[in-house]
Amino acid sequence: MQLEEIKKLADLARIDMSEEEMKEIAKDFDSILAYVGQVQEVSSRTVLEEESKKSEDYFLHNVMREDIVTNKKGEYTEKILANAPDTQDGFLKVKQIL
Amino acid sequence: MIDLKNLTIEKAHESFKNGEFTVAELVNAYLEVIKEKNGEINAYLEIYDDVLEQAKRAEEMFKNGTATLMTGIPIAIKDNILFEGHIASASSKILKNYTATYDATVVKKLKNTGAVIIGRTNMDEFAMGVSTENSAYGVTKNPYDTKRVPGGSSGGSCACVAMNGALVALGSDTAGSCRQPASFCGVVGLKPTYGSVSRHGLIAMGSSLDVIGAIGKNISDVQIVFDFIKGQDEMDSTSISSEFYKKKIVTKPVIGIPRDFIKEGMDDRILVNFEETIEKLKSAGYLIKDIKLPYVKYSVPAYYIITPAEISANLARFDGIRYGLSEKADKLFDVYTKSRGKGFGREVRRRILLGTYVLSHGYHDAYYNKANAVRRLIIDDYNKAFEQVDLILTPTTTGPAFKIGEKVNDLVKMYLEDIFTSPANMAGFPAISIPSGFVEEDGEKLPLGIHFTAPFLCEDILFTIGKDFEKLI
Repeated sequence: MQLEEIKKLADLARIDMSEEEMKEIAKDFDSILAYVGQVQEVSSRTVLEEESKKSEDYFLHNVMREDIVTNKKGEYTEKILANAPDTQDGFLKVKQIL
Repeated sequence: MIDLKNLTIEKAHESFKNGEFTVAELVNAYLEVIKEKNGEINAYLEIYDDVLEQAKRAEEMFKNGTATLMTGIPIAIKDNILFEGHIASASSKILKNYTATYDATVVKKLKNTGAVIIGRTNMDEFAMGVSTENSAYGVTKNPYDTKRVPGGSSGGSCACVAMNGALVALGSDTAGSCRQPASFCGVVGLKPTYGSVSRHGLIAMGSSLDVIGAIGKNISDVQIVFDFIKGQDEMDSTSISSEFYKKKIVTKPVIGIPRDFIKEGMDDRILVNFEETIEKLKSAGYLIKDIKLPYVKYSVPAYYIITPAEISANLARFDGIRYGLSEKADKLFDVYTKSRGKGFGREVRRRILLGTYVLSHGYHDAYYNKANAVRRLIIDDYNKAFEQVDLILTPTTTGPAFKIGEKVNDLVKMYLEDIFTSPANMAGFPAISIPSGFVEEDGEKLPLGIHFTAPFLCEDILFTIGKDFEKLI
């Protein structure tokens, strides 16, 4: 794996890393990807055939609920803000975005 | 002196009732052990400052007749389970000072029945690891041999039960995190059916695999805890009722062994112990059959695609804005990158990048989609096997507890720790690790474990055979 690619991934994942660590991760990726790449031995044909045999999936189905507020107004505000790094007048304070 | 080593939930309950000892006396006995041993073992990251108040409330419940089996039982919780007003850090620097704003459903249940939650236990950061070496707060040591790891990621929970620092403990299990450390620490570790225990208030790692599990010194204690924490919860839409799957009814379970799968990379002593286990089960009248699980060998590779993908999504919420570590910077973007770069440990950073990679355009089909397809094939393998047998038996691990530092430089070797345990998570089945004997190494006795997997919601079969097996060893 190229260092440039790791840099791009770190950027996408919003993680600041030293160049040294990125070099090590590039090496780690080579061995991890070689290992997990085993899944590609399983031919797509087998998978598709097996999958089409399956009845409507027990594995995934949607669970819906009414879109309503279940807690009292302000019930958690104080506790949540107590964990925030920076607040003002009951709001989270962040750096200017625009 | 209370005999903590041989204490069970039922014995403790009887003793509370007949006045042999009080809840506070039992809690104090555990606190003494913790004071003596935790400095070296590092099973607990924190002992809660309100344990004696909790004990008092439990005693009230005995007086006013509202006590249950779990009332007054000292229990430890893994550091990724929220207990309102207490720190829950997932053993990460990014949550070092994070105070839970609500109770996890499992904690609410424990509180309502007056169980005494002693403290939070060490783990691999965000449950990513098999040794607790990835904790930001130091490794936990194996109580059987302090040069060795306790396993992971629920290493603190298992070590704490093994050192008699709590009667039982909660862990979480994404690929073996309750069972592999249970095996290394000589205790019982249960991974329940996916969805059978609410995860409301569990800090997420791999949401399609995570489940909260129970750890104890014997099957009966683990069964009591599981019966207590299970159940559908409206706060967790992935939790299921006991009718969700058509349940297999079994009187004397037939045991299947996937021999082809138990070959590579095995410590010979594990194989010897495993054959002895099979003989014991045969002598107890169990029917043993050979089975084939052709795709199960792809479980760990597929796991290390699916889980990092889910990790990269689940851990996106840690941004240095709303809670957790926040690094100062001039631009908002740099607040994110610096907070995450400094707050996450090495393995977490690596897995987030890996997840980002396997989900990225151009690799999504080759890795993520393929791993999900393989996952289906593994589930099919198990479903086919469960038409012939009721339980699947393997060793829990390929060897006994390894030495601290022994595998840190070999990622794939570390990942292979989950070879026998990860399929149950990939497929959602319940599974349990039960102590099966010891091997001796460097003059220390090291525990071994065997591992049973059962069909959906058939935890009862695991408990039945577990209780039988306890009598055989």
